[in-house]
Amino acid sequence: MPLFSRDESFALARELVAKSPAAETEVTVESTVDRFVRYAGVGPTQSADRERVDVAIRVRVEKNGGVGEARAEAATLERSALERTLGHALELAEAAVAPLQLIPLGGPVEVEESCAAPASLAHPFEAKADAVARALARSREAGFAPAGLFETWSATRALVNSRGREVFGANSRASFSIVASGPTSSGFADTIDADVANLDVAGAIERALEDAARSRDPSPIEPGEYEVVLGPHAASALLLFLAYEGLSARALEERTSFLAGRVGEPLAADAFDLVDDARHPKNPGWLFDGEGTARERRILFERGRALGVVSDRAHAHLTDGRSTGHALPQPSNSGPLPQNLVVGAGVSSLEELIARVERGLFITQLHYVNSIEPRELVLTGVIRHGAWRIEQGRLAAPVSGLRFTDSLVRVLKDLRGVGSELVRCGALFDGEVATPALHLGSLRFTSSTRGA
Amino acid sequence: MERLAKEAIERGLALGATYVDARVERIASETLVVRNERLSEASSREEFGLAVRALVDGAFGFAAAPLARGDASTARALAERAVALGRKLAPARTSKVELSPEPPAVGEFKTPFAIDPFALRDAEKLGPLRAAVAALGGRSEVSIREATFGARSRISWFASSEGAAFHQELLRTGAGIAATATASGEVVTRSWPASLGGDYQPGGFERVAEFELLAHAPRVRDEAIELCSAPTCEPGRHDLVLASNLLMLVIHESVGHATELDRALGCETDLAGHSFATPDRRGTLLFGSPWVELVADSTAVGGLDTRGIDDEGVRSQRWPLIHAGRLVDFQSSREWASALGASSSRGNARAQSWYHPPIVRITNVCLEPGSWDLEALVADTGDGILCDGVKMWSIDEQRRNFQFTAELGVEIRGGKRGRLVRAPTFTGDTLEFWRSCDAVCGPLHFRWWGITNCGKGNPMQEAEMSHGAAPARFRRVRFLAG
Repeated sequence: MPLFSRDESFALARELVAKSPAAETEVTVESTVDRFVRYAGVGPTQSADRERVDVAIRVRVEKNGGVGEARAEAATLERSALERTLGHALELAEAAVAPLQLIPLGGPVEVEESCAAPASLAHPFEAKADAVARALARSREAGFAPAGLFETWSATRALVNSRGREVFGANSRASFSIVASGPTSSGFADTIDADVANLDVAGAIERALEDAARSRDPSPIEPGEYEVVLGPHAASALLLFLAYEGLSARALEERTSFLAGRVGEPLAADAFDLVDDARHPKNPGWLFDGEGTARERRILFERGRALGVVSDRAHAHLTDGRSTGHALPQPSNSGPLPQNLVVGAGVSSLEELIARVERGLFITQLHYVNSIEPRELVLTGVIRHGAWRIEQGRLAAPVSGLRFTDSLVRVLKDLRGVGSELVRCGALFDGEVATPALHLGSLRFTSSTRGA
Repeated sequence: MERLAKEAIERGLALGATYVDARVERIASETLVVRNERLSEASSREEFGLAVRALVDGAFGFAAAPLARGDASTARALAERAVALGRKLAPARTSKVELSPEPPAVGEFKTPFAIDPFALRDAEKLGPLRAAVAALGGRSEVSIREATFGARSRISWFASSEGAAFHQELLRTGAGIAATATASGEVVTRSWPASLGGDYQPGGFERVAEFELLAHAPRVRDEAIELCSAPTCEPGRHDLVLASNLLMLVIHESVGHATELDRALGCETDLAGHSFATPDRRGTLLFGSPWVELVADSTAVGGLDTRGIDDEGVRSQRWPLIHAGRLVDFQSSREWASALGASSSRGNARAQSWYHPPIVRITNVCLEPGSWDLEALVADTGDGILCDGVKMWSIDEQRRNFQFTAELGVEIRGGKRGRLVRAPTFTGDTLEFWRSCDAVCGPLHFRWWGITNCGKGNPMQEAEMSHGAAPARFRRVRFLAG
């Protein structure tokens, strides 16, 4: 099954909208092609050549002065199943009827059509196998065991509703990652881009091997408060929690957000700028949201001042009466979500950030970060894949695992520097951020992990 | 369906594969969430697809696509793609994949249930949720009142080139309530019967009634409010009595994941990490105290991963992971069992759906009950903290250093329950922690808890399983300042 074209997607979506007897109907058709090779020291361990189609039908029914809204989805091409899905959406919506006022679905809108990178869609398994073979060979030469993933993913998405909104776009993502592990150390690197042609696979392999080599035989270190430079991957693991926990209009309205009562205040140091921007070349995404609204470039922090949140149609009253285009597929029990965060780059190289630290730590990655408390964004997690002491502005001895527990709100107030190189990276849970390295005045480490 | 699976297998063998399996799956799910007075989520999902896995020249290839009934051409095409993929990847393997020998599974398994949640009218499912949300109300401090219902049905036809032919119908249903209070500058969520969307059990809608959501709603609401002004935990070492709805997640993170054989052999390193419980330590590693008996069981009555076979046709089974405190076994698939030199797989190869290749997944794992009565255990503890409900969890890549935050703590003073403590956070080392376990409550307190969103693999996929436990005591556990 190749990717659905614009015409195929619209034809299916329009057909289902036309069939629906609901007062309002919205249909989303998404087709996906995903090809990946996962590998470890033995070579490829898991791989897949797979595709899917996902059809979501959102309906609103009116009855006895009330309105009910529901969504039903089908990952199948069976016509009978799609009709059953429409029927179930209607049944669910009937059950949901309540004396509520719902904002009508959005009408026609102009949204620029995004494109998938042709090279990512066409990328062959032979090329993935070659990259894996290179990772294995170089790791063997360097004395480390590799593990990682090479994936190319492409998708098209169309949304049609009964008020005349019709939007379409395509997207792609290519990534190569490697963890190089030795008896006492490891190194990690990845390269992510919409276009597989822009990946630097050889560079990622060498960076991971270099970090694994220079983090050999780490020394234990006492927990406590340290000045730190976080590499982009470590920074992304923290910053994603701004999105998960607080940059949503719903969290602000329900006062669970760290921004509750603080919008407009200088919550972070002057050096911190943050936007959500689906058109940013370093973290591009879908140009319309789960309701077909165009994604707005949204300034969230400017010179450390928290300027606001992202919204959907239901929470537009919190963003000047206009949805910012950050809805998840509706109806949803989750609020709007920024999905293309970009930190404003500074002017310092990573080496310059490190050079400013008299005594501290450089951390490449934070693992299994989770949130303890939402209002101050108290997070915990552990360091991995390389951490070093910084002594007199230079990287010194590697250190072994530490667990931090600290408030992200607190540490961003003492942000002392921002790197100049934006890197697109994610963490254990969903999402990616384009961020440079960050220099923090302090981060509290609460326990040390122990060797087995 | 079986014919489509066999069509794929025949095509794969004809193209030179040495082993082929195929899964045809129809998956249905439904979620209802009442948030305050509004039905904030009413969604359903249906999937129908085919997965084909082929072993060619010592490497696996996998292909998957959505299916239409009787679609033999897709079945054959997927077999061709799976074979082609295996063949392309084989040169990059340093050793050939070998599969442990297994008898071909033939038969069927169905989760027992009384009330099919998908046959029930939606209004009937919403009734208990709306009533519970109303019962969470009445106090202005509570800003979010939520009740959730979910059900998932997975019907599969599995066949392999070794002669396996198995039909399976799995069903799970669950529900839960939660109240979020905002007061005294704090935001506190309290839930029942479990955090993060409730508890899930094998079976049908009859399971929802067992949770008694309506009866527990006022207590849940009041505890959320009380916790906002409750003190935080005194930092330092305290004896810990863990309720089973939190102990189950400690089992999951520190025992379940640690004993996955692919992880222990270094093949999960690129995402979630490695494990300290390596095969060379089997039989010698003192994992816990003599009271600690941890058993894996994909046959357990009450487990979400209770089924007839795994996703490569290996029969379900029960076996010890930690016996008398020592590490004795792992959770495995045919490939990794063979790599370890084991005579057979433990049957833990599972996939989220037809779209995903099977990987080693945690099955139902339980801490065997001891003999204590809970109130006697509290009285015997003298001073300590009882922790209940999951608020937060995190564990390192070796599965050694962990940190958990409970929804609610209760001070134990002089052997009696005292005041509530907000969000007690304890941290420790897996081995020290399990070695400090000196009491486990008896069978009357034992219960299975369902997990529906365990993430693993890269690209990540989700799996479901249950963990069983009765409350247990752990000595001198380190608590952080609140």
